Amino acid sequence: MLLNAVILTLREVIEASLIVSLFLAFCQLSGQPKKTILAALFLGLLSAILYAFNISAISQWQNGIGQEIVNASICFLVYLFLLIFLATFIKSDPKSSKQLQSLAMVVGITLATTQEGAEIILYLLGFTFSPELFRPVLFGSLIGAGIGLSFGIFIYYLLINVSKKSSLRIGFIMILLIAGSMIMQAIQLLTQIDWISSQYPLWDSSAFINERSLTGQLLYALIGYEATPTPIQVISYVVSLMLILALSAYLYFRDQRQPNA
Amino acid sequence: MRSIRLYLLLSLIATITLVNFVSLLHGYQSSMEQAQQLFDSRLQSMAKLIAAANHDQTERAPLPQQQTPYVFFQIWDHNKKLIIRSSNAPSLSLSVLTPGFHDVNYESYRWRNFIFHDELSQRWIVTAERSDIRYSLAEQVVLKSISPIILGIPVAAFIIWWAISLGLRPLRNLTEQLKLKQANDLSPIIIEHTPTELIQVVQTTNALFSRLDDAFQREHQFSTDVAHELRTPVSVLKVHLHNLQTTFGDNNEELNLLRQGVNRMGHLIEQILALYRAAPDQAMSKFCTIDLYSLAQNSIATNYGLFEEKQQTIELTGEPSPMAGDQFALETLLHNLLSNSCKYTPVGGQIVISVESSTAGVNLTIEDSGVGIPSNQYVRVFERFYRLYDDQYNSETIGCGLGLAIVKHIVELHHAFIELGQSKFKSGLKVTINFPIEANQPW
Repeated sequence: MLLNAVILTLREVIEASLIVSLFLAFCQLSGQPKKTILAALFLGLLSAILYAFNISAISQWQNGIGQEIVNASICFLVYLFLLIFLATFIKSDPKSSKQLQSLAMVVGITLATTQEGAEIILYLLGFTFSPELFRPVLFGSLIGAGIGLSFGIFIYYLLINVSKKSSLRIGFIMILLIAGSMIMQAIQLLTQIDWISSQYPLWDSSAFINERSLTGQLLYALIGYEATPTPIQVISYVVSLMLILALSAYLYFRDQRQPNA
Repeated sequence: MRSIRLYLLLSLIATITLVNFVSLLHGYQSSMEQAQQLFDSRLQSMAKLIAAANHDQTERAPLPQQQTPYVFFQIWDHNKKLIIRSSNAPSLSLSVLTPGFHDVNYESYRWRNFIFHDELSQRWIVTAERSDIRYSLAEQVVLKSISPIILGIPVAAFIIWWAISLGLRPLRNLTEQLKLKQANDLSPIIIEHTPTELIQVVQTTNALFSRLDDAFQREHQFSTDVAHELRTPVSVLKVHLHNLQTTFGDNNEELNLLRQGVNRMGHLIEQILALYRAAPDQAMSKFCTIDLYSLAQNSIATNYGLFEEKQQTIELTGEPSPMAGDQFALETLLHNLLSNSCKYTPVGGQIVISVESSTAGVNLTIEDSGVGIPSNQYVRVFERFYRLYDDQYNSETIGCGLGLAIVKHIVELHHAFIELGQSKFKSGLKVTINFPIEANQPW
């Protein structure tokens, strides 16, 4: 039980820590107040508790597929706000761009923390009626959360201590990873509830990296790894990354044209 | 702001957590494997023990008493016919009777069984144990050993926080000493048990303070000497000029020009000295509570002759506004602003001074109906020796281009803000100075 708890909690905490450390580092480097990020984190934890304790009502929605719909929507919204965050670098008006940036960061963190936090709370709540299982599950969750948070702290200090160019590169790769992971998760959830029809998988890499193994779960959290992806999953993943790349390419070439802008 | 303490605290706790937890997971997996091996060998011993203790060759009813519901046994004869079993054991074989360990399903549970072939009596002994119970028992044992490590992390975090605070104490001490230093306090910093990393910083800072102190003292001595050396001949010149005017009369044009020149030289010396005293680096910052309103009243009274000479109307509005400030510096500021207003306002013009106090601070406003300053010159007029309307007013008024530079120094000394603008009259200048309350503290 302990290992399962470690894997589940680690997967959720790593996803949230990546987003939080990325935005915290951005605030640190751009001189923006970090209070908003911490407030968003608090808000996210609060809404995660609310979400978890109202899960039965949410699940009943739309003939029992409410939870999947809400989770998939959160994934799509996090992706959308990551895109908005990137797009704020394009806007020429610095004041409105900063406001939009803060909004994208706050909403992104709140949504991500709500989803990841609620998953952990629901998992733990499931074992409260079995004291002999709750103990290993709780310890497993603590270990998973500890590793995930430590990972986030290292990423944060890495981002703020390397050169600006390197931190931009690492930050950009992180945005790509998180965005891809979000889209992949959303498609998986929609496939589960048959909103997207199941298709024959394009390949099966479970012999190489099993989805249920620790590595598989970590890769799921980091890049949305799926051992047997369907064509629609692969297409959505590629299109979502292409959108971000296109946006970044536009930014890069604009800066090349206007070096003093 | 990046904090060294937070960085050390978080990175150390993160490292300890990461290393500990990853090793803990590794240890957990190894311990669980070891525990499973231990359970397997127990199952094996149990089968051999049953074979040695029981020699039945004919079928018997299941044993009525069952000690542990999670363990069962079966004894099969060489024809694979069940001889005896524990009451909770199935009457069928759960797997092919081949010696060794097998994982089978029975009664909605996963069971681990061991099949032993008793060569002596040609029987098959099957012992089985519920896998989930084995796993749970093993996990409980392993958890006992790993829980102190998990619970120890907050304790480690507290000890690390305390150790870092202790380690950073000399640095905090140095920061505190530098923060509390007055602008004119150039005494060396003293830190007990200076750590190796700070020795160079303390030594260099103290050497810098010492050199600064010497330089300031030399400068002070120099300005005192210069003031004395220049003031004395100017005073002597004024006495001789007075004597000459008595001899030749007041209408001698050359003597009047000479008097203007001597007065301008005297004014220049006084302004240079005022600039020196008002410079933030040199100001002694003897701040005390001053009522800016009564200071403005006094300043108007002192300079009243100037306004009277030009038949100007001067008006003071406002209320008593106490604030922290340097009296001499503020007197100089008011004098310079008032004399500027007088100088650039025509005969019969108007000058309005207002001193108002609010929660944000004290506001001083001086408006005149003079020629004003073009908005594109607002920044330049604060430069030293910069003179506006040089040609127009040079011959009539005493000025050296230092007045507003001194005002700016005094404003900076009080951490205040100055703003120039258009006065409420048809033409003229409006000077607004805001002395904020929170910034208006001694250095």
